[in-house]
Amino acid sequence: MMRRGLAALLLSVVTASVLSAQRTHAVIITGLGGEPQYSTAFAAQGAALRTIARTQWRAADSSVIWLAEDTAKDPEQRAIRATKDAVAQAFLRLSQRVGPGDVVVVVLIGHGSGEGAGSRVNLPGVDPTAGDFAAWLSGFARQTVVFVAAASASGDFVTTLKGPNRIVLAATRTPFERNESRFSEHFVRGFQNAEADTDKDGRLTVLESFAYATRETAKVYETARQMLTEHAVVSDSVLAARVVYAAAVSSGDPRVVALVAERKALEEQLEALRKRKETLPPAEYEAELERLLLAIAEKTAAIRAAGGTP
Amino acid sequence: MCGSGRTVRRRAALSLRVAILLAAVGASLHAQPAESRTARVERAEAAARRGDRAAATRDANALLAEYRRGGSGWSARDHVAAGRAYLLVSSSDASAVRSALRAFDAGTAADSTFVEAALRASDLLLDKYNGPDAQVGYQAVLRRSPKHPWATLGLARVMEFSGQGDALAKAREAVELDARLVPAHLFIAKLHLEAERNDSALVAARKALAVDSSAIDAWAVVGAVAWVTGDSAGYRVARARAERLSPAPAAFYVTLSEAAARQRRYGDAERFAEQALAMDSLSVPALGAVGTNQLRTGEIAAGRARIERAFAIDPFNLWHKNTLDLLDVLGGFRTVRLGRFEFVATAREAEVLLPYLAPLLEEAYDKLAARYDYRPAAPIRLEIYQRHADFSVRTVGLTGLGALGVSFGRVLAMDAPSARDPGTFNWGSTAWHELAHTFTLGLSANRVPRWFSEGASVLEERRARRGWGAEATGAYLSALRANFLRPVSQLNDGFVRPRNPMEVGLSYYHASLVCEMIESQFGAGALAAMLRGWRDGWTTEQVFARVLKTALPAFDTRFDAWVKAKFDGVQLAAEPAGDAAIAPIRDEVLAREVAKDDRGLADALERLLWIWPYDVASHVTLAEASARLGDHATAVRERRVILALGPTDVLGARVELARALLGAGDRAAARREVLGILEQAPTFEKAQLLLLDIRKAAPPGGAP
Repeated sequence: MMRRGLAALLLSVVTASVLSAQRTHAVIITGLGGEPQYSTAFAAQGAALRTIARTQWRAADSSVIWLAEDTAKDPEQRAIRATKDAVAQAFLRLSQRVGPGDVVVVVLIGHGSGEGAGSRVNLPGVDPTAGDFAAWLSGFARQTVVFVAAASASGDFVTTLKGPNRIVLAATRTPFERNESRFSEHFVRGFQNAEADTDKDGRLTVLESFAYATRETAKVYETARQMLTEHAVVSDSVLAARVVYAAAVSSGDPRVVALVAERKALEEQLEALRKRKETLPPAEYEAELERLLLAIAEKTAAIRAAGGTP
Repeated sequence: MCGSGRTVRRRAALSLRVAILLAAVGASLHAQPAESRTARVERAEAAARRGDRAAATRDANALLAEYRRGGSGWSARDHVAAGRAYLLVSSSDASAVRSALRAFDAGTAADSTFVEAALRASDLLLDKYNGPDAQVGYQAVLRRSPKHPWATLGLARVMEFSGQGDALAKAREAVELDARLVPAHLFIAKLHLEAERNDSALVAARKALAVDSSAIDAWAVVGAVAWVTGDSAGYRVARARAERLSPAPAAFYVTLSEAAARQRRYGDAERFAEQALAMDSLSVPALGAVGTNQLRTGEIAAGRARIERAFAIDPFNLWHKNTLDLLDVLGGFRTVRLGRFEFVATAREAEVLLPYLAPLLEEAYDKLAARYDYRPAAPIRLEIYQRHADFSVRTVGLTGLGALGVSFGRVLAMDAPSARDPGTFNWGSTAWHELAHTFTLGLSANRVPRWFSEGASVLEERRARRGWGAEATGAYLSALRANFLRPVSQLNDGFVRPRNPMEVGLSYYHASLVCEMIESQFGAGALAAMLRGWRDGWTTEQVFARVLKTALPAFDTRFDAWVKAKFDGVQLAAEPAGDAAIAPIRDEVLAREVAKDDRGLADALERLLWIWPYDVASHVTLAEASARLGDHATAVRERRVILALGPTDVLGARVELARALLGAGDRAAARREVLGILEQAPTFEKAQLLLLDIRKAAPPGGAP
């Protein structure tokens, strides 16, 4: 009896396992700190992003590449020294693993300089330029690329790298915002709490994470009563609002699938109701709103109870 | 209340211009036979002083018509005459000010040895608030003629304008160089008047009159001193002399208005300025004085109209420009009427501060009304500025004021806590302090001496909350033991004529002890009785004699003994932290959290919020502690303030608000809130769960 029960549980785990079309891949590059405090901070952010990529973006281990200033600082000893050649190799390696529709997230953290296609972030040895990244990314035409230039003076990465199926975030709007950037710290933090998910749907879009990092960065300056010296930009906010770092998890459990479908139908009814808001008497609208919201809440509870993820 | 020395600076400068012109007339009449153009402009100026603006303008325009036709070849003296004529018509044509400056410069170009042209140019620059260029002009003259009285006086004026240097000493230097320099005597008189050294002001005015008995500005000083000191006979004499010299002595009433404003008698100040305006509708100082005092008494629209009119006539007036800019800022503020108060603040400050401030001030009102047996009429207006520069302009017309709050009576203004660095001041005690002035000013019909009003306000701060208000410091004890502090009979000087920058602060605390001692030795109603005495026109000596049954000198002795006994042998183990020190409270918050002492934690956080209310984490902690204590009203207040502060996770904060509302028993509000959240984010699981909880909490047969 007990053995049968265990088998049933295992079956349930297997059937409810993640079925997701989108796969996410990550290339994380943390550049030269120049000073111990920055080296430590960049390394910590790189390590945190690697964990985030594995756990939240559900990227496979082999699809997460971290190139670091000092590989000795990686407790897992898996980071690669972030030389220009190594970065090029990483992109080449990744290009052989990606499939159509996948999302490739590239996060570049460090101190930036230069202008236009010559914009760069300081890495050990020769610095790769924005132009180099453009060349390396040309092999990902069938994927959605999210490139995060989380560095000072990174504004021209946007103009150099933007393109179809590509979202480029930069910590500064121009290459002339050269002061220390706080963007990367808040970009990473956006994955570490639920606050960045502003619509609370459990899925973080690129735009949400960008907005969070931008807002929190600005708060740092405001709190310190300093002039804001970095203004982050995003190349394509429409695409950024659609692209998520990790696709929704589908369940293989038919009960959960049915509940999710029912909830989806209720959500569609809610959407239709919201569109009619101005035409309905307020009391009627509120009553119907409450009815639908309660029904959606009950479905969520039922999905949870059935072992699904709402 | 707070000092307003810079306010009078502008007025002194403006009045001085008239005085200089007066003196120049006298000087030129005495010095040499007047040239025709100079004589003509002097006639026009004399007409202006008489209040005959039409004649003045007509004569000036006639001269200017000639100047425009062929003035380029005129002598330096005639250029200067033209410049003076331009100034006479500048009230109807602001561009004439620039023409005047050009004419004075042309005078210098025509004859660089004719220094009057350079001096008049410098005077004009200074009158239009360009101190640095004026200083350069005066110094250039002094390099050529080191003992030039007019240039020396000019430097004194620059010092007064910039607040740097000893203006009085420099003006006295000018008098030593030329004892007949009437403008210098008048300048000294005004400086004394501003510092409430009335006897000295009178002496200087009399010196001016000894040289020129027709100096209306000198009679104005005499009249102002008489009015301030309650010498009605002296006042009538001065007014009669002024009216004999000019049927419409607008400047006389402007000076009275300024003196009344210095005494915080803003209603009288407005009335005098209106009288001036009735005599000269184009008088910029009169328009400014009416407008400024209307703003102080809460007549914002009317005050703005007057200041706008003044600025239209004289667009160089920095005070008026600043004030109009400020009123534009105020236009973007939100006005919120709560109970007996009308709050004016930015939307954010209103949402963050009023949940605390409104109940605090209602409590303060009730306590003060009981103590003073006086109830100021509602609403009492409190303006809250998130830029200190705006508060400063509201108070004195210029930036740079060091004060935190001001009370004009039923109109209060103060810095928002965000206007200063965290830990700079306690905004709760500041608001309480200013409201206490509303009572002392109101009950005394604005006749209470400053020292008493400040002392009572500081005393009321101390009574308001534990740790609020000034305490004895090492500096105070040292000053007390060194007999540095002034006796009660001279305590006002500690505020208006401090001997060093520390004295004002020491005087606040010292004055509060005087009030404390009066209350303890003469009964709880003594302070209110004294205020009623001042209201009835009694002098301070009479107030002490009739209310406290003691002569002021005797009281001096008695208080000195009392205060020295109070602190006899007292040694401060450490300087008091003051009511704005954040660090000790933060330490206490941590300790209480560790000890899981929610009551103590909530108390400490409440104290912290009166210093810095913008830290979201503090509000979250207080909300949580309050909820645990069952104090759901506080939890709701805190959750609302968190939202006002713009948290990163807005929907998450709204869920917490809804939860607090539910905890407070306001199921309907909680339901509304959570429906609003889920309307935006229907899959927000935390809100969904709360919605289900709210449904469960529905009364049987009630709404779902």
